[in-house]
Amino acid sequence: MKTIPDKDILLFKSCLVNVEYPGVESSACYIFDKVGVEYYVDKRQSCCTGLGHYYDLFDQLSTTALAARNFHIAAKTNHKNIVTLCATCYAILKKTVKILNYNEDARNKVNTILDESGLPEMEYTQDDMDPSKNIFHIAEILFNKRDEISKYITVDLSEFKIATHHACHYCKVHYNDTIEGVREPNLMDGIVNAMGIDTIGWYDHKRVTCGAGFRQRFTNKEISLAVTSEKLEVLEDKNVEILLHMCPNCQMQFDRYQPYIEKKLGKKFNIFHLNITQYIALAMGADPYSVLGIQTHTVPIEPLLKRLKQKYDLKEDNRLKTLKSV
Amino acid sequence: MKTIKLDKNPLKLVKDVLNDLKASPDLGIYKCVQCGMCASICPGASQTEYDPRDMIRRVLENDETIIDDETIWDCFSCYTCNSICPSGNNASEVNQILRQMSIEKGEGAQKIKDFCAYGDSFMEMGIGSIPNEFFNVMVKDVGNKYMDLKVNIEDIRTDLGLGNYILPKESTDEIEAILDNSGFKVRLEKIKRCKK
Repeated sequence: MKTIPDKDILLFKSCLVNVEYPGVESSACYIFDKVGVEYYVDKRQSCCTGLGHYYDLFDQLSTTALAARNFHIAAKTNHKNIVTLCATCYAILKKTVKILNYNEDARNKVNTILDESGLPEMEYTQDDMDPSKNIFHIAEILFNKRDEISKYITVDLSEFKIATHHACHYCKVHYNDTIEGVREPNLMDGIVNAMGIDTIGWYDHKRVTCGAGFRQRFTNKEISLAVTSEKLEVLEDKNVEILLHMCPNCQMQFDRYQPYIEKKLGKKFNIFHLNITQYIALAMGADPYSVLGIQTHTVPIEPLLKRLKQKYDLKEDNRLKTLKSV
Repeated sequence: MKTIKLDKNPLKLVKDVLNDLKASPDLGIYKCVQCGMCASICPGASQTEYDPRDMIRRVLENDETIIDDETIWDCFSCYTCNSICPSGNNASEVNQILRQMSIEKGEGAQKIKDFCAYGDSFMEMGIGSIPNEFFNVMVKDVGNKYMDLKVNIEDIRTDLGLGNYILPKESTDEIEAILDNSGFKVRLEKIKRCKK
């Protein structure tokens, strides 16, 4: 079992969390503050290039050079343990550390790029970072703190049938570093179980992709959504009410497109989509709007909240009312 | 006398793949036994003509027409093939390298031209964004509330206690310099100029 840190953490901002589900980041901070995980967010940190990388737009050298800059920020601020909110950031950063460590030619090229950019202080020295000891996904930190988390549960979420969707770029890219199962992933199930709640565990399609497929969602929408639909239908057969996510891209694929797929298939799925951080924060009593950020969801979370004993000031149809409308 | 003309460099393509910066040092392409586990579990293969097993066979047989084969663009980059391969091969990674070869040749550049705005926004803000053309389709598919969310994102982030997600000017200057010196800027302009 690898050692998972609870301090010196650079909480790595994600482009999709930033603008799609920012409540994932605020929920993460809420949980970290409660259970005493020491972390830091740096406004200078750039995006990992992940989407551009898998659109085949970014070349590997550019992605690696930008990663070296982010590693420098992590080291200089004494927060060398990078914790990502997104599975693609996790896989991209791990791969760039590996390249910088084993490939001397690439490392020299990256350092030349940094020098030419007037940033010689950012040069990378072999083994500055360790791909297994410095790069983590937030679900790993939460799993490691699951017993601590269970002490802060104040809202009963046990009446819902829950399934987990483990992100491909966490489980399947650097599979030797994946904890709690690759072919049968149980990382999030383990966290939920520690909170005293059962999940449905294994289901057919558990390890199948969300279907986003980076370019596929945009250039091959029908095949992309066909993969998403298949998974939703399997979950519906199991009467799943909450699907838990650990990657904003997967969450986007299911949450943004579930109503579209429902219209196309002429059926209702009634599945809520929450990130594991949002789910834990909710169970800890966090506010649905000012911490979880459910106002950014496409499938409304209010019907779920109405079923809880806990009473909330729900904004339902006017979630963005106080704000601008186009 | 009957003569057989042997390929002078029968492993050229597989060597090019293995020498690519993207190729992991443990990429086990030579160990592929053509068992088909990758194809059996591949979402691309289940929905399209893409066949990761056949793609690997053609790389091993030095069949360079695979670079121009349209089907390589149907991979989902989900790495399920990687996680299931009994031989330590990684079809997903090989696919990404073949796509880069196609982009180098020119044909592939047409395939990614529509994504160029992501690169522009990265250099401007240090963060990529969904190109407008695709964003508009999402607004149509998801509904106007999706547009409302985008218009209000900064206020929502403030309510959540989160700071500005756009990087400070000195950081975007650093990023632009890095992307200029890494050759990305030139690459992006080249892709933009390619004819559809």
